[in-house]
Amino acid sequence: MRLELGSFPVTEIVFGAATRYDAGRLTVDRDAVLAAVRQDPRVATAALEIARPGESVRIWPVRDVIEPRIKAAGPGVCYPGICERDIATVGDGRTHRLSGMGVVEVSSVNWHDAGGDFVETYLDMSGHYGDMYPYSRLWNLCVVVEPDATLGEEIKNYAVHRAALTVADQLGEAVRPLTPPEREVFELTPADPSLPRVVYIWCVHSPQAMSGSPTAFCTATYGLTQLTPPWYLHPNEILDGALTGPYRTAFAMSWTVANNPLLLDLYRRHGRDWNFLGVISLRTEWTTQTEKQLMANQTAKLAKQLGADGAVVTWDAGGNEFIEVVRSIQACERLGIKTVFLTSEDDATDGAPTMLEPLPEADAIVSTSFFKNVTLAVPEAPAVARVIGVPTKQVLRGSTIGLHAGADTSLPTSGPLPPPWRYDDHYGFGSLSCIE
Amino acid sequence: MTSLRVVHYVNQFFGGIGGEDQAHVGVTVKTGAVGPGRALETALGDGACVEATIVCGDNFATERADDLARAITAELDRLKPDVLVAGPAFGSGRYGLACSHACKVATDRGIPAIAAMHPDNPGAAEARRGVYIVPTGASTVAMPAALAALAPLARRLGRGETLGPAEIDGYLPQGRRRVHDRGRPGYQRALDMLLDKLQGRPYRSEVPYAPPERVPPAPPVADLARARIAMVTTGGLVRKGNPDRQVAANAVRYHRHAVADLESLSPAEWEAYHAGYFNHLVNANPNYILPLSFLRDLERQGRIGKVHEHIYALPGVSTPVAVSAGHGRSIAADLKAAGVEGALLVAT
Amino acid sequence: MISAIYNFALTTGANRVIRGARIEHVCGDPTLSPEKDYAFGMRIVTTALRTLTVAVPGPTLFDPMAAGGSGEATHAS
Repeated sequence: MRLELGSFPVTEIVFGAATRYDAGRLTVDRDAVLAAVRQDPRVATAALEIARPGESVRIWPVRDVIEPRIKAAGPGVCYPGICERDIATVGDGRTHRLSGMGVVEVSSVNWHDAGGDFVETYLDMSGHYGDMYPYSRLWNLCVVVEPDATLGEEIKNYAVHRAALTVADQLGEAVRPLTPPEREVFELTPADPSLPRVVYIWCVHSPQAMSGSPTAFCTATYGLTQLTPPWYLHPNEILDGALTGPYRTAFAMSWTVANNPLLLDLYRRHGRDWNFLGVISLRTEWTTQTEKQLMANQTAKLAKQLGADGAVVTWDAGGNEFIEVVRSIQACERLGIKTVFLTSEDDATDGAPTMLEPLPEADAIVSTSFFKNVTLAVPEAPAVARVIGVPTKQVLRGSTIGLHAGADTSLPTSGPLPPPWRYDDHYGFGSLSCIE
Repeated sequence: MTSLRVVHYVNQFFGGIGGEDQAHVGVTVKTGAVGPGRALETALGDGACVEATIVCGDNFATERADDLARAITAELDRLKPDVLVAGPAFGSGRYGLACSHACKVATDRGIPAIAAMHPDNPGAAEARRGVYIVPTGASTVAMPAALAALAPLARRLGRGETLGPAEIDGYLPQGRRRVHDRGRPGYQRALDMLLDKLQGRPYRSEVPYAPPERVPPAPPVADLARARIAMVTTGGLVRKGNPDRQVAANAVRYHRHAVADLESLSPAEWEAYHAGYFNHLVNANPNYILPLSFLRDLERQGRIGKVHEHIYALPGVSTPVAVSAGHGRSIAADLKAAGVEGALLVAT
Repeated sequence: MISAIYNFALTTGANRVIRGARIEHVCGDPTLSPEKDYAFGMRIVTTALRTLTVAVPGPTLFDPMAAGGSGEATHAS
C-alpha cells in the first residue's frame, strides 16, 4: 500500500457564496452544504456555525470531531464503512486532507438507550479547559444537527454522524482537484532487517456489551462496532479513516484517531529506528474471562506471527476493558514480544494501585496522568460569551465534585461548568503524567 | 550550620557482636559509630556525627518487636537526634524488616528516619507504608554505593526538609502518586521507552509495579447448616425507580436493604443501576446479581442456617480503591456484629 | 466472591473466588430455559457456599462447571 497524503492547511473558515479553498482560507457555502445534509430525510434540523481558535465559545454536546479527508486517487472512500459508506479497502493512492480544522458533530442524541453511557464532552476554544485539548487550536465548523424524533436511538446516532460526514465530504470536495501545498508519502518500505520489528496494538472499546446491540454506534472499524477478534490494519487504512468515530471521551474522536501522534511517529521513523509492521486492533469489553483471555492470546499470536519484537499498546476505555489490554500485554511478553503500555491512571489515594489489574509483565508503562478530571483537580471551565449547540447541560449527581455532587442538575452551558468526568489522553498528545 | 546528629540502627553482625549465631541478642546501645557507621559519618560529611548506634539481633527484632520499639524510643527521647538511619540491610530479610520497623518507631516519635536495602527485601514493602527506603544492591559489596545514595537524603531529612518524588530523589516508591508534567508528550516517551527496552538499555516504568496486598483467608465456616449467610453485591442493585438515589458510578456510599420478608428479588421491585455493564438482564431478574431466591431455597432445605436480613449493594465502577476499602471494612464490621459467618459477594 | 472475570479477583487478592456466568448475568443465564437458568444459578451459588466451608491457602478459584460438578479448585496464576 502506498498513500500520498496531501495537506491543505486551514487558517481561516468563513461563510460565503461557494465552498472553496484558497491559500488557507476555506469558504463554506452554508446553504449548499446544509442542502446536502438535508437530503437525508432522517435529519430534522441542521445548522452550521464556526468556532474560532481563541474565541470565548463553548461547543456542547460534542459527539465527534472529524478531519475532512477525501480520496483524490485510489480505491474506496475515506471513513469507509460507517453510515453505509463504501467498505472497499482503503490506504492506497492519494488522499487530500484539510488540516488545522475539524468538523464538529453537535447533537443531543445519546450513544444508546440501554443506560450507563452518556455524551458528556464539551469543548472550549479558549481558557484553561480549552487548552487541555488540541481542538481549541483548530478552526472548527460545527454541524448542529438533530434527527427525526420518531427514529430509534441507534438510527439517530447514524443519522447525525452521517450529517457530519456529509459536511466533511462537502469540504473535502473543494480540495479534491487541487494541488496540495504539503505532501507526504506513507509506505512501509522494506526496512533494514537488523532493525527491531514493532507492532502497534490499538485497543478499541466496543459498545456491544453496554448497549446490548452489535450495531450500536461507536468507534468503528470499516463501520463495524461489534466485539470481533483482533484485526490487522495497515497504518494507511488508519490514515484513510478505517478506524473512525467517537467513543465517550474527548480524546477518542475521529480527529485524534486519524492524527494519532503515536501512530504517525511510529510510521515516520519506520526504516530508521524500527521496522513498523502495522496495527493490530483489539476490541474490548468482552464479558467473560474466557473471551477476554482468548482475545489476548490471539492478539499476541498475531503479533508473533507478524514477526514483532516489540509492541506499543494503547486503549481508549476504562473499567473491565482493561483486562483484555493487560492480558494482551502479558501474552505478548510471554511470547517474547517486548511491550510498552501508554495509559492513564485511576485514583491513588492510600497508595492504591492505579490500574485495575497490575501484572508484573506490564513493566514498561508511560502514564498520561489521572483520567478523572476530579483527580486532576481541574477547575470549572469559566463562563463563555457564546454557546454553540444546546444551552443547558445536565450534570449527574456523583459525577462531579463541589456543588453538584449531590443532585442531578441542569446548568447553563455558558457556564461556569464542571469539566466532564474523564480527561484521558489515550494517545499521549500531552505531557501530563504522574510521579511518586 | 550545626552538624547533623544521627542515631544509627544496625543488626548484630554490623554491630560487631557476631553472626547468625548471635541473632537472638537483644538491644544494646553503643556510643558513637560502629562498623559501617563510620563510613556513614564520612559519607554524611560536614562533621556529621553518629552519636549512638542501636544494635539488635535480627531474631530478637522479629520476635520481640515491641521490646525493640521501646528501646529505640527511649534512646531517641534521650538523644533527640536529627535523624535515624537504619541499615543498609541489603538482601537480609529479617534485618530489612527490623530497619523498616525502626524507622516507623522513629517517625512515630517525630524523628525523621530512613533505611536502605535491596528492593526485593521483604522489609522494602514498608515503603508503601511511608517508610523512606533507599534501594541498594543485594550484598555488602554494594556498601559504598548504598551509603553514597543514603547520605544526601539522610542529610535533607535531618535538616527537616520534605523529600521530592521518589523517582527523582532516589528512594523506593511509596504509592503517593501525584500529577506531574514530564515536559515531553506521552507518545514520545512511549517510543523512547520502547527503543530502550528493545535495545536492552535500562528503562524505568512511570508506574512502578507493586504486588497486590495479600489478606489471610478467613477460616472456614464450621457448620453451614447453622450459619447465618449474608449477600453483598457491587452490581448496583437498587429498588425499582432508585428511590434511594444510588449513583451509577463512583460510589461514595453503599446501601443496605432489608430482605427478611422477601423470598426472591422481583423485577417489579428491584433493578440495576450501574454504569459499567448492560443492566437490562438483571432488571428482568435481579437475583442474577444478588442470589436471594437461591439462598431462600437452601434455607428452606436446611442447607444453610439463615439468610441474613440485610443485603448490601453499591455500583462497583469507577470507585477509588481507597473508598472501596472503606466500604468493605464498614460492611464487614456490620456483618460481624450481626453474627454473620459467611458472605457471598457478587461482582459484575 | 462470585465473578465472571475471576482472574483479576485472584490477582488482586480475593481468596475464595467462584467463576460466575457473565458480567451481565453472574448467577445464571437468561438464554437458557427458566428451569436450566435456575439450575445453573443454583450450581454457582452452592459452589460458592461450599467454598465457605473449606480452608484455602490463598487466592483460589472454584469453577462450578468443572468436571465432577462440585467445583474444583485451582490456585491463582
